[in-house]
Amino acid sequence: MTLSLKDAEALLYREAECLDESRWDDWLDLYAEDACFWMPAWKNEIETTTDPESELSLIYYKGRKNLADRVWRVRSGQSVASTPRIRAVHLITNVRLVGADEAGAQVAANFAVHLFDKRSGRTHAFFGRYRHDLRREGDRWLIAAKTIVLLNDTIPTVLDFYCI
Amino acid sequence: MFTGHISDLIDDRPDEGIFRVSRSIFDDPGVFELEMRQIFESGWVFLGIADQARDPHDFFTTDIGRVPVLVSRDGDGTLGAFVNSCPHRGSRVAQTLAGNARLHVCPYHSWSFDSAGRNKNVKLKRAGCYAESFDAQSHDLPALPAFGEYRGFLFGSLDADVPPLATHLGEAAKLLDLVADQGPDGFELVPGAVTFTFQANWKLQLENCSDAYHFTSTHPSYIRILEQRQTANTGVAVKSVWESSDYWREDAQGVAGGSFSFPHGHVLNWGIFGVTEALPLFEQAEALAERHGAAKRDWMFNMRNLSIFPNLQIAENASSQLRVIRPLAPDLTEMRTWCIAPKGESAQARRQRIRQYEDFFNPSGMATPDDTVSYENCQRGFASRVDPWLQGYSRGTTASRAGGNPFSDLIGMKPARNVLADAQLGDETLFQSYYREWARRMAGVIEQ
Repeated sequence: MTLSLKDAEALLYREAECLDESRWDDWLDLYAEDACFWMPAWKNEIETTTDPESELSLIYYKGRKNLADRVWRVRSGQSVASTPRIRAVHLITNVRLVGADEAGAQVAANFAVHLFDKRSGRTHAFFGRYRHDLRREGDRWLIAAKTIVLLNDTIPTVLDFYCI
Repeated sequence: MFTGHISDLIDDRPDEGIFRVSRSIFDDPGVFELEMRQIFESGWVFLGIADQARDPHDFFTTDIGRVPVLVSRDGDGTLGAFVNSCPHRGSRVAQTLAGNARLHVCPYHSWSFDSAGRNKNVKLKRAGCYAESFDAQSHDLPALPAFGEYRGFLFGSLDADVPPLATHLGEAAKLLDLVADQGPDGFELVPGAVTFTFQANWKLQLENCSDAYHFTSTHPSYIRILEQRQTANTGVAVKSVWESSDYWREDAQGVAGGSFSFPHGHVLNWGIFGVTEALPLFEQAEALAERHGAAKRDWMFNMRNLSIFPNLQIAENASSQLRVIRPLAPDLTEMRTWCIAPKGESAQARRQRIRQYEDFFNPSGMATPDDTVSYENCQRGFASRVDPWLQGYSRGTTASRAGGNPFSDLIGMKPARNVLADAQLGDETLFQSYYREWARRMAGVIEQ
């Protein structure tokens, strides 16, 4: 069975729900163990970096364990930036199935994440584009790679993994 | 307008061991306005590095205080710095962060300028019915009244009445040498710039870079994660320099580092790291010792957080970061940050440098947000005048000594003062150097 557009949407919405509702273990569970999580930095006004090995990224991890570290940090109570956590709601639109076969699928989407930090009274919205590379493992579709192109990359104080 | 005295802002009584700073220097709009004029818009300010405009006609744009600046390399390869504002009606001329242009054309009325800032054309000049006296005026982009380079680090001033750049940097220049000399061909910015803001005063960033006292309090989540990675050794996490150093461990014995302070407000907070393979520079360890001697090589491996007053910081700890501080309002600051690296390092070393950088330095990483949220907490607290005087400038008072010590002697550096610190001292006297320079510069407009 190849992935349908409806399945792709459901998976992206589920990821958003996990992030918005602090269901961190469920979120991690969506990722393959060797998953790549990448948000490139920008080289200039119009181009992001393209090679994370030789250019800077805002976030670049290979391996779900690294994402688990980030989850541990926000749970730990030992990060003032993470406690109390910023409220977030992900709005995901324009979902397109770019490619799909029995083993994998590529999904493109747009996002806006609205944030409210009660402590500082700051509201902000990060927006941009997602690209999810999905891989079939048994009867599940897992995120093998997620690329986040953040369009408004002047970051007001905090951007954690659940803010994008 | 601020109408008080310097002594209302900085309580500096060395004979009594008292140094206090008033909360109002962080949130008084009148003080901020004077800072912009006296510190940012009339003294040496860091602009960028020469490598950002490497080839003829390359340029980049930046700001001094509130003033837009264009740094451009002309056809002969000479760097110049100009106010990026058209003499005609004031529009910003260069529009992009960087680029290559033989000719800069103002987008408003098409006056044009070459890469040396010279006016090349006033559109429809002959038809313009100008008086003769118009030709007597220069139509060039105004050059910055002072512009200088030290080993690839570019500085400018909007006031010509500044000491020579070499005098401004003084002995702190030797700390810039430690950056510039890491590669035989100099240094560069890794592609990808990161910009962030925080809702707090710019001097909190100045202080935090030099603050050895905060690390274990502000960053326990980062430290615990490194410990966990070390134990788990999964191979998927990036190696960290903190794993192999005792510098930050509060139970470490003996001299762990300390501080140096210099005239004109420059300071260094440093720690002993040792020549460790956790640093991307490790592959060059032998070559660097041959080129510069083992002592200077060892200094390149030390943890070094350098501030060149008022707006440049180079932090070489978890990785290597160049930061430019830009105050926007008393309670709003913009940070432009880059990973800085020696040219020509191996792909593996570069990768390691980048990964260490992202985890620690990025506003999307695991350490910087804990700093910037703390700045914002301070800014909120500064509103109080119940006791206006802050007590955070006193640690190390009885440990501070005039001149250098055996560690600065190793690179022939002669600081104004030094503190040798164990892992628990957390010197704060180095901040005093910031505020003595601050007070000296503000003295022109605020009474003593």
